[in-house]
Amino acid sequence: MRFFRLILRLFRELADENAYARHLAAHGRAHSPAEWRRFSEDRLAAKFARAKCC
Amino acid sequence: MKLVGSVCWAVIAVGAAVCLGAIALLRGEHINSMWLVLAAACSYATGYRFYAKFIAARVMALNDKRATPAERLRNGHDFEPTHKWILFGHHFAAIAGPGPLVGPVLAAQFGYLPGTLWIIIGCVLGGAVQDFVILFASMRRDGKSLGQMAREEIGKTGGFIALMTVMIIMVILLAVVGLVVVNALKGSPWGTFTIAATMPIALFMGLYLRYWRPGQVLECSAIGFLLVIASIFGGQAVAASPSLAPVFTLGAMPLAIAVIVYGFVASVLPVWLFLAPRDYLSTFVKLGVVLMLGLGILLVRPELQLPAFTRFTDGTGPIFAGKIFPFCFITIACGAISGFHSLISSGTTPKMIAKETHAWPVGYGSMLLESFVAIMALIAACALQPGVYFAVNSPAGVVGATPAAAAATISSWGFPVTPDQMASLARDAGEQTLFYRTGGAPSLALGMAHIFARTGGGQAWVGFWYHFAIMFEALFILTIIAAGTRVGRFMIEDLAGSRSKGWSGVMITSGAIVAAWGYFLVQGVRDPLGGINSLWPLFGIANQLLAAIALCVATTILLKMHGARYMWITCAPLVWLVTATFAAAWQKIFSPSAALGFLAQAEKLAAGPQTAATSTLIFNARLDAVVCGILMILVAAVLADSVRVWTGILRGTRESQIREAPFILSTLQAEEL
Repeated sequence: MRFFRLILRLFRELADENAYARHLAAHGRAHSPAEWRRFSEDRLAAKFARAKCC
Repeated sequence: MKLVGSVCWAVIAVGAAVCLGAIALLRGEHINSMWLVLAAACSYATGYRFYAKFIAARVMALNDKRATPAERLRNGHDFEPTHKWILFGHHFAAIAGPGPLVGPVLAAQFGYLPGTLWIIIGCVLGGAVQDFVILFASMRRDGKSLGQMAREEIGKTGGFIALMTVMIIMVILLAVVGLVVVNALKGSPWGTFTIAATMPIALFMGLYLRYWRPGQVLECSAIGFLLVIASIFGGQAVAASPSLAPVFTLGAMPLAIAVIVYGFVASVLPVWLFLAPRDYLSTFVKLGVVLMLGLGILLVRPELQLPAFTRFTDGTGPIFAGKIFPFCFITIACGAISGFHSLISSGTTPKMIAKETHAWPVGYGSMLLESFVAIMALIAACALQPGVYFAVNSPAGVVGATPAAAAATISSWGFPVTPDQMASLARDAGEQTLFYRTGGAPSLALGMAHIFARTGGGQAWVGFWYHFAIMFEALFILTIIAAGTRVGRFMIEDLAGSRSKGWSGVMITSGAIVAAWGYFLVQGVRDPLGGINSLWPLFGIANQLLAAIALCVATTILLKMHGARYMWITCAPLVWLVTATFAAAWQKIFSPSAALGFLAQAEKLAAGPQTAATSTLIFNARLDAVVCGILMILVAAVLADSVRVWTGILRGTRESQIREAPFILSTLQAEEL
């Protein structure tokens, strides 16, 4: 069970869902479509400014 | 307990030695792929447990009481302490690209042995060490990038050259992986439809995430995956349709133009609409397929059909020209050591490490897994009949323009193959032909398809699995092209001094970077030797030279920490890398053989009948020589600068101040992770 929980956490990290949860907690905000859009725009702008590996 | 542990590690170490010895010494019969798997697994375990631990404890003195940047600078965004195995997966997903899949497949033209030995030894003593030391150095410097560390530790030249080298690698990388996709899809309506269908699927996913189910990335990726699988079946129907099949049957040049247009459009569209959903999907597919391939090899345990060495160790190989030294080493590239990894190790990862000792599994361990992926790709290629492997990977310009001529040429090398055998294979794979499918991706897909088919579905499913593998390769290669074009755009804007805000600026800078890699892609398509012969070595040289820069930075840091005592750890792989890569670059420029040297190729073309196409080929060969020469000069400058700094430190005429962040006691608890 612990292994599968770890895998799920990894998937959520790769999917930026954990980062979104941290973002909500850090700013004391609740989930909303507008909040997700605000978060994902910042997150994706930083993520895709870096080179992807070969 | 300690005795049991010691006995276990002794057994593993002996196992590594026995398996490596067996694959090196067994001759005259086919060996089972399990020898390679066990040799790799035991060597990695031994390297991880002893060599990496020695580096972690004695050289780096990793200390969990020291707060990492993730703890000290925690902001919930970039800096966030993360569970070590989650970060391991995250880092592995970031470093795993097409390089460790394609490089070993191409290098199999020398036989299975040279590639296997270099992948294992190169990774344990070089690649994993590079990733580990750079990750450690960046972690101790608040997550600074390789360029920043090069500037601070070596000098301003180092930082600038690192940036320029990355830019050149990016252009060559995007061109060469674009060529891999073009060669995999040419004349394949099934493959082309499947890949074309991933575009609207990505757009749908983007809209789904933005408006319908914001934040539900996993759910959206699962839907995207199901749609992609459906598109593979759709591709089969399209290929069987007399009216639709011709629409999706494209030649190399139209496909190249489609890839160029795709790269441009994908880089200017809003990231959330196209690139991000595609990236999520390709990351999950990549991890899933790597796992499937590992399980498939364990279940099927295929025999290796290629010999330990082929006749092409003498440099006359049809896939790429050049002798085993130095070309085996630069062709495999990312599976053993990759300069690009140093950018990831000094990017996101050091900002997420919760405890210093986690750098050991994340930095060193992830590279071992990447290397294992390279071993699996090599096995998939070597499990093919040698005649089939060479028929798929050899260009028409080398083996002959008709199937009969190609089969006769390849058979004359001692690797029998017939046009009927290839036609039957193509039918099974749902392709019109499998001749001249250069680039490594189709032969890897074919090898994977046969392994997957033996574990599920049987021979009737070879076509599905072949296109599943092609989809997997093309999906993440095209994501790299879109993301790389975007990053290249930012690099141009940074060099120009400001980021574009308006559409016109975005279009111009995107157009510039697309034009740069698009030129090399078209050059590859027009190349009578198939393009891979010139572009892949160029990419390998650029990538290995970036690794040389990373190892210069790492050596400088170790020298400042301990004097000359431990500098051999990074200096030994650096010496090997510089020797092999400079030898390869020199030969690619100056070799008198027209099949190998760019300048000799230009001279040979200039001596023949002149047409517009010949003039372009001559210009391209000279351009490749110039690019290769620029890379050599840039890295020689960093090397000279580094040696100057090292000599100064060793003589005591130069300050050897360590620029680490100050020690702050960690208060992070395990429950917080």
